[in-house]
Amino acid sequence: MNLAPLTLDLLLVGLLVLVFVADLLLPNGQKRGLGALTAAGLAILLGASFFLRLEGTAVSGAYVTDGVALFLKRVFLAAGILGTLGSIDLIDRRMPQRTGEYYVLLLSSILGMSLLSGARELVFLAVAFELMGIPLYVMAALERRDGKDVEAALKLYLVGASSSAITLYGISLLYGMTGSTVIADLAQAPLSPLLLVGIGTTMAGMGFKLGMVPFHMWVPDAYEGAPTPFVAFLSVAPKAAGFAAFIRLFVAGFQGEASRWSLLLLIVCAGTMILGNLLAIPQKNVKRLLAGSGIAHVGIMLLAFAVGTERGLAMLLFYLAAYVFTNMGAFLVQAYVAEGAGSDDITIYRGLARRSPTIAFAMLLFLLSLGGIPFVAGFWAKFYVFMAAWQAGQGFLVFMGAALAVLALFYYLRVARQMYIEGDGTEGAMLPLGLPSKLALIVAISGVLGLGIYPRPVVEAALAAVHQLMGA
Amino acid sequence: MTQFPILSLIIWVPFLTAVVLLLIPSKSGNIVRLLSVLGASVSLLGSIGVAFNYDKSLGGYQFREGFDLVPSFGIRYDLGVDGWGVSLLLLTGIIIFAGCWATWTLQNRHKEYYVILLLLVTGVFGVFCSIDLFVLFLFYEIAVLPMYLLIGIWGSSKRVKASGPFRFVYELLEVGNKEYAAMKLTLMLLGGSAFILVALLAMYQAAGGNTFSMETIGRADLPVGLQTWLFPLVWIGFGTLAGVWPFHTWSPDGHASAPTATSMLHAGVLMKLGAYGVIRIGMVMLPEGAQAWAFVVGTVAVINVVYGALSAMSQSDLKYIVAYSSVSHMGIVMLGAATLSVDGWNGAVYQMFAHGIMTGLFFALVGLVYEKAHDRDIRNMGGFAKVMPGVAVFFTLACLSSLGMPGLAGFVAEFLVFVGAFSKVPWWSLAGIIGAWVTAVYVLRATRRIFWGEGPAEHFHGLTDARGTEWVALVFLGACLVLFGSWPRLVLNTIDLATGEYLSRVVDNVAQAIR
Repeated sequence: MNLAPLTLDLLLVGLLVLVFVADLLLPNGQKRGLGALTAAGLAILLGASFFLRLEGTAVSGAYVTDGVALFLKRVFLAAGILGTLGSIDLIDRRMPQRTGEYYVLLLSSILGMSLLSGARELVFLAVAFELMGIPLYVMAALERRDGKDVEAALKLYLVGASSSAITLYGISLLYGMTGSTVIADLAQAPLSPLLLVGIGTTMAGMGFKLGMVPFHMWVPDAYEGAPTPFVAFLSVAPKAAGFAAFIRLFVAGFQGEASRWSLLLLIVCAGTMILGNLLAIPQKNVKRLLAGSGIAHVGIMLLAFAVGTERGLAMLLFYLAAYVFTNMGAFLVQAYVAEGAGSDDITIYRGLARRSPTIAFAMLLFLLSLGGIPFVAGFWAKFYVFMAAWQAGQGFLVFMGAALAVLALFYYLRVARQMYIEGDGTEGAMLPLGLPSKLALIVAISGVLGLGIYPRPVVEAALAAVHQLMGA
Repeated sequence: MTQFPILSLIIWVPFLTAVVLLLIPSKSGNIVRLLSVLGASVSLLGSIGVAFNYDKSLGGYQFREGFDLVPSFGIRYDLGVDGWGVSLLLLTGIIIFAGCWATWTLQNRHKEYYVILLLLVTGVFGVFCSIDLFVLFLFYEIAVLPMYLLIGIWGSSKRVKASGPFRFVYELLEVGNKEYAAMKLTLMLLGGSAFILVALLAMYQAAGGNTFSMETIGRADLPVGLQTWLFPLVWIGFGTLAGVWPFHTWSPDGHASAPTATSMLHAGVLMKLGAYGVIRIGMVMLPEGAQAWAFVVGTVAVINVVYGALSAMSQSDLKYIVAYSSVSHMGIVMLGAATLSVDGWNGAVYQMFAHGIMTGLFFALVGLVYEKAHDRDIRNMGGFAKVMPGVAVFFTLACLSSLGMPGLAGFVAEFLVFVGAFSKVPWWSLAGIIGAWVTAVYVLRATRRIFWGEGPAEHFHGLTDARGTEWVALVFLGACLVLFGSWPRLVLNTIDLATGEYLSRVVDNVAQAIR
């Protein structure tokens, strides 16, 4: 069997085992190195992904490593690196006895995503989806401080589990209609109401993970309660994975029915953009605010996906790459600022520009990137998506998206206002950041600025990857 | 042939200065100030150099430079200036230079102030030099956003007594506060840019979807139907920044709350950026659309002129007076643009130039008066000429230019616009002249109230005239006002060159469409 396409995943398994064993061998209180090990391992894997020849299919065609899969794997690895680096200090401070579990779970979730990105078979897809999801429920519950944590973890678990059930039900319907679990075979299935129900339920199940409207209710609560560095990861990587599943399932399987599901998705996308922004506007809790903004961003990503063109999909990939640095950066800053202040209220940012100008500036960059302002990654992401959507004839949604982006700036600027305008110099100093946290911020800032100033290589990589998938 | 990239120099030197400023400690006060002035001077000298070396026998875009940014989408960093660009570049150079001097006395977090100011001006320079629509849009956003911090941090609040049934809305929005003004300005202008973005994408797509170059898209002969609905998008989008009624409401609040140099730059240059966008992108690139909407644009512009002037007349807050007068004067620019005639367009661009300098001077003076008297209400003032004669002289000079006194820059522009308007729709001209008359009433009244007349009151006896560095901005802008008023050919010739070229394109296109 040709294992080359699975190299990256096997290496991930190796890293996972390594961290697990190291956790067993190291005495309590000396486990700080595990985080560094995880981050370094992921960084090596990310580097290796550029040198190894990975393309091809494996497991009798159920698994493929093509351009899109590779692009997404790099996104997951980058999110993993950021998530690990950003967590080290806080895990150390708040739940040192859980260090080993945290990284092992993180790695298994990444492994699930990585496998998901190349799945070409329904069962494989479902298993990978679970492998990604289950560790996340556990991670949310690792730290038990108050009722909110437990509530968040339980909500994440219940919603996640039921959405998996719905997905599986949809998959069973699809199998029943076509008699095959190979996604490419779905394309040959005759159109029937049952098939449409199958498509719809599968989409709904995955939509839960993405937090798309109307399955978005759990997002703010889960974000609010769960440990913030974990939320940074949760807010980005599973979304990218959800879109990976969308791409595998819909583009390969239901291209023929594109007009139907894309209309449904466009309606959902409009709702997601509107509700996400409305949710974020009145929030006083920054994590809930970012949760709302995250839902709105899913709306824009859905727009890129739903137009279904080559360019649209490529721009979705670019958006995901930009979103990793932007959103994780914002959540990490939130984690650090909140750690010192002991609250998630927006007023903890008061006067941050004086107390800690670098962190404030970093946050400003992330907020601007979320808001889509030039020379940071988010601008290109948003612009490219709008451009692709316009070319696909979705002028109305582009207009709505652009108008809502302005609305979104309102709540991003509220945070900026606390940092730069409010405050009288009496606020306490910020907790000093450890080296890993600084490193995480540096990575996020360089990502946001790098993609903002010179997006060309990533854009072209995304275009090439999607062309390989859809072209010819 | 590789020539010296002077446009990039003009654009990026302020940016680099800002970066350098970030790196030096903020305690070194005068070094920060000197460096900013130095950066601004390089841009000013550069723009003067461009103005002198622009080859009038050739016309068109000159000082071209650029490279591909994202070739797969046809995005190109493509710079060049035409006759309009030359004059607006010069204006921006003049205003930022004066603005840096006017900020000299700022004490509170002055380093950050200079950094943001220079960042903003990078965006403004960029817009006037960009040929690629996408890059233009990039620079446009950079020019707009720093305003939020400039007003929010360094601005001043006005006490507004909330009353009436909607009191709670006032209190909720914090109307009158600098935060309110900053947020309103930012959101309205970025709302405008949402319109621009859509129009831009539509033009890009209709012209083949492989280039953002204004030259290529401008020659693409977009379908008339498309043009007629795109033009209002561009008009509203850029027009919001140009203070077009009824999208002007950010302007009085914003300008009144903004610190001195910010108001100077914003009223002096940024509003021009909006007008430039309407004319250069809306009218030149969508000629049929412009033709179809010209009457609406002109009529709204007339409303602007008269409404702005009447609003200014009813204000007693000095900054609001100047801010509303900007709304009124920008109406003259739009009126000139709407005429689609040589005189009108020349007048419009020249009015941008003249009003930029004049309003820059105005805001510098207002800032000075406010800084010394700590009061903006003209009803409390009077007789200030006795304690600050120099300021009084310059204020009067700016007033005379504002009301269109011959020999000063404002006159030439307004005259050209009214001539153009008369040939198109005679009553536009009439309404415009009424606006100019009302302007005369309120500026003269304000001058008399503040500087001449009774007084000064007891607690104003300690006021001093402008001192030291405060003079620089005043003298420099005043000199420009006289220079360009008495010798308009200096920039009008270059403006005329571009006007001729673009207008012939507009007229040809329209003539073809009719045939």
